[in-house]
Amino acid sequence: MPVSDLRLGEPATGSPSLSAASRAAFPGDGLAALSAARERLANAGYGGEVPRVFEAAACQVAELHGPETALALGPAASRIAIRAQPRVAALFLDTAVAMARKLDTETFARWLEVMLSLLRPAPAIVLPLLERMDMLIERLGLDMLEAWVATGMRFAANDAERRMAFFRLELPEAQRLLERHAGEDTFQSLERGLRAFHTALWGRMPPLREALPDGKGVAARRTSFAAGVIRMPASFPGHRGREAPLYRAALAHAGAHFAYGHGPFAVGQLKPMQIAVVSLIEDARVEALAMRDMPGLRRVWAPFHVVGPEGVATAPSLFARLAHALFDPDFPVRHGWIEKGVTMFRDHLDRIEDPAVSRHIGNLLGNDLGQTRVQFNARGYVVQPVYRDDNLGLWDFPDDPDQPPPPQEEMEIDSHDLRRSEAAETPGERQQEDRPPDADQPPEALSTRTVDPEAGVTVMHLPEYDPVARVERPEWVTVKEYDPAPGDPSFWHELEERHAGLLMRTEALVRMAQTGRTRRLKRQAEGESLDLDAVISAAIDYRSGRTPDHRLYEGTSPPERSIAVHLLLDMSRSTADRVGSQTVLSLERDAAAILARAMDRLGDPLAITAFASNGRDDLRTVPVKRFPDELGLLSGMALSGLTPGYSTRIGAALRLAGRSVSEVPCHRRLVLLLTDGEPSDVDVPDRDYLVADARRAVHGLSAKNIDTFCIALGSDVGDSVARIFGRTGFIRVERLESLPEKLTALYLRMSG
Amino acid sequence: MTDDTTLDGYRIAEEPTYHADGDEVAFYDAAYAARLPVMLKGPTGCGKTRFVEHMAWRLGRPLITVSCHEDMTASDLVGRYLLGRDGTHWQDGPLTMAVRYGAICYLDEIVEARQDTTVIIHALTDNRRILPLEKKGELVQAHPDFQLVISYNPGYQSVLKDLKESTKQRFCAMDFGYPDPAIEAAIVAAQAGIAEDQARRLVQIAGKSRNLRGQGLDEGASTRMLIHAGRLMGAGLDLRQACQLALITPITDDADMRLALSAAVDACV
Repeated sequence: MPVSDLRLGEPATGSPSLSAASRAAFPGDGLAALSAARERLANAGYGGEVPRVFEAAACQVAELHGPETALALGPAASRIAIRAQPRVAALFLDTAVAMARKLDTETFARWLEVMLSLLRPAPAIVLPLLERMDMLIERLGLDMLEAWVATGMRFAANDAERRMAFFRLELPEAQRLLERHAGEDTFQSLERGLRAFHTALWGRMPPLREALPDGKGVAARRTSFAAGVIRMPASFPGHRGREAPLYRAALAHAGAHFAYGHGPFAVGQLKPMQIAVVSLIEDARVEALAMRDMPGLRRVWAPFHVVGPEGVATAPSLFARLAHALFDPDFPVRHGWIEKGVTMFRDHLDRIEDPAVSRHIGNLLGNDLGQTRVQFNARGYVVQPVYRDDNLGLWDFPDDPDQPPPPQEEMEIDSHDLRRSEAAETPGERQQEDRPPDADQPPEALSTRTVDPEAGVTVMHLPEYDPVARVERPEWVTVKEYDPAPGDPSFWHELEERHAGLLMRTEALVRMAQTGRTRRLKRQAEGESLDLDAVISAAIDYRSGRTPDHRLYEGTSPPERSIAVHLLLDMSRSTADRVGSQTVLSLERDAAAILARAMDRLGDPLAITAFASNGRDDLRTVPVKRFPDELGLLSGMALSGLTPGYSTRIGAALRLAGRSVSEVPCHRRLVLLLTDGEPSDVDVPDRDYLVADARRAVHGLSAKNIDTFCIALGSDVGDSVARIFGRTGFIRVERLESLPEKLTALYLRMSG
Repeated sequence: MTDDTTLDGYRIAEEPTYHADGDEVAFYDAAYAARLPVMLKGPTGCGKTRFVEHMAWRLGRPLITVSCHEDMTASDLVGRYLLGRDGTHWQDGPLTMAVRYGAICYLDEIVEARQDTTVIIHALTDNRRILPLEKKGELVQAHPDFQLVISYNPGYQSVLKDLKESTKQRFCAMDFGYPDPAIEAAIVAAQAGIAEDQARRLVQIAGKSRNLRGQGLDEGASTRMLIHAGRLMGAGLDLRQACQLALITPITDDADMRLALSAAVDACV
């Protein structure tokens, strides 16, 4: 019961007399202090509720954490009443009691501080936070709550409306960040394992995507596999702690459809109810087939069939029970319609491979149900159990553009999912939304999302370090990949013309690097030839009766080249500056090309990514060459197609390169950055922030045994490079014209 | 020639069980009859070594097996001078022994050896059939019964670790894969001493792991692993425990992959 509802046995307004409970909770001087605090609140003009709730709250908090902690609530409530509203203060006091029960004394005091600290920057968010405090503390704990709140404040920066939406959890990002901070598993955190699981089970992997929220931001609740692409909800709220098994169950179910289904059913004249029932039978059919092959799948799916044998005879309840009964032969059947379904299904087990069975049984059962008074509301229907898909992939919806839109009832068929019926306003809209984007397109074409060459494809989210809050914010920077602009096909040819002499010198260097690497090893236990010195001394030992050393051989060490490099090219706006006849970017380009050729000769793996940034939502990357790519025409065109623009978010770029290089099996991994300036970005006014973040990224990579090195171009690069990479972690190239030559020489020295 | 006694230790007394999956026995017989060197390609644990043992037994030849490794030098194959009490003496290496006395020499995982090591077999694998012992100043003419067999796993080899073209082109080659599921189950059942249906489950599980080849795993579970898992079941572990111990944990250190494999095993039992 909220404290505000407690009857305190006295009038509401500022009476100085205190309840018996208060007397017990505040022995001695405490009582006077409580009385004084209450008096102050009563006289401050916040209305009667605040002092009343205060007293009740103070009593309960005092019992749990002592009078001192309890009395601190008075001034806190007062500040909240002033900066926010008195009613927020009352809610705060209410919530404080609940928190006092959950938290220990020290944590509770910190919780108070956290709440008060929000009053200055954003008093408006105190209310939505308090309203959700139980859930937030439950899921996050205080430390993570603080981090999540700080993340939210930074997320919305100066946009008050967006901030409110964040803390009301109306933004999908807020939900996602909440899940991340809570350490709960989401689609993103599980995706890699899910892919492996699916590939292992079925030997193939259809495109797998996270389902995007619909136009109103309502998240998907069920898996869907329309048009050959599996889309899974970003999260399954309400299934905390068992996300991984649930995602696996859902993916295994979709996989069973792919393996044992036979293309989509034609809708024909079927009514929504029949469609739902046919889908349900088809679900049971493919699961039965899958379990015949892999009996353990029963354990994967069973935990989610939770509906009991009893229930009201509504369509959703009957459907859920039928699903359970078809899945589990031991499920007690208490309804004639379900019994009929089970019997028919059992009778058809001998030809269960045939999808027509589902259609046949589903039609009859759907008819039967249609003739009873059971109502079916396609709008509100969500497939049960939770791991099953929304059945969109099972049906071939008519998509002839010349046809008049089918009647609304039929349009409802596919909206087995609540969110869609909520979102769509008119039948026409709904049809467009629900229909597979383009049935003729192969699924892979759907996945590439390269409709607009100007638009990048989001490839990952990276964390970023906030030096002020001293937290690493997960998934803070969005990395987008842009297709390389088609550049000059004769790039390599022209490079050879431009740098003929340099290329020849580099070739010689490379030859030396290739051959001069083996070392002679003396006094080896094994080897190709005898080590004469060792033999002589052993012979002497031998003849003088001492034990000779058995290491008599010499050999050569095998060539040790095991280094992989991810080269990052800064293509921010400043690289358009001219140095002599060339721009900084074109010098970077030539240097990168010459290095790439040398590394190619040496067989050292190399990736090249050009990057710039336009705020944290858009780390713009152009993959010039990935590790497995051949160095050739395409990488040359990509290099020559780079154009300068935007800013420099170094930390994120380093993390990105670190991730890719960490996957290359090599003894030494190096991230090499070519930049002409300090980190900066449009959404960060504070330069030190990005410097600290980049420094943190360098440390992070070094902890993973990945070296970083920076080549700072130009004399006006400040000391920030030294702060990021350390004094030995960079060199300055002041005469930019010499860059192409220096880069390769530097590399050979570093890798030698 | 003294081949009859020198290599007795290398003779195979009992028949190594081998379930042929195709024409490989006939192919090998033909290659041996023509004394052509043979290259066996295939993933690890699919039965290449067992096949060579079986063929050596069939042909009644001693078999000298050398597992190649990256530190292996030419001396490790042909031999070297050792210091004795009164000076140095020559010790034949395994390849030289096979060449002198007419054994089948099997170089397992040849690409692991350094490339300069592998060129010493060139003169042996063309019509010259000679092995020059440079350090000793001797030219060994191969025994008429000598044959060279190498094995090679194309799966996980990088561009850097490939056979030289000049080496490759001297060999006849046979491709080995995992056997057909029914045959593989029979092999696992026989070798591990478990029931056929348990063996079939194991083979099904192996199929799941082989689906992940190149998708997170370098190799799927081999027949050898399945036999190990089967033996563990014979020793009292249940199927899931046996797969965990013999299959999932050895095959990868990647946590995601392990979870996915465990889930796939769970789905099969």
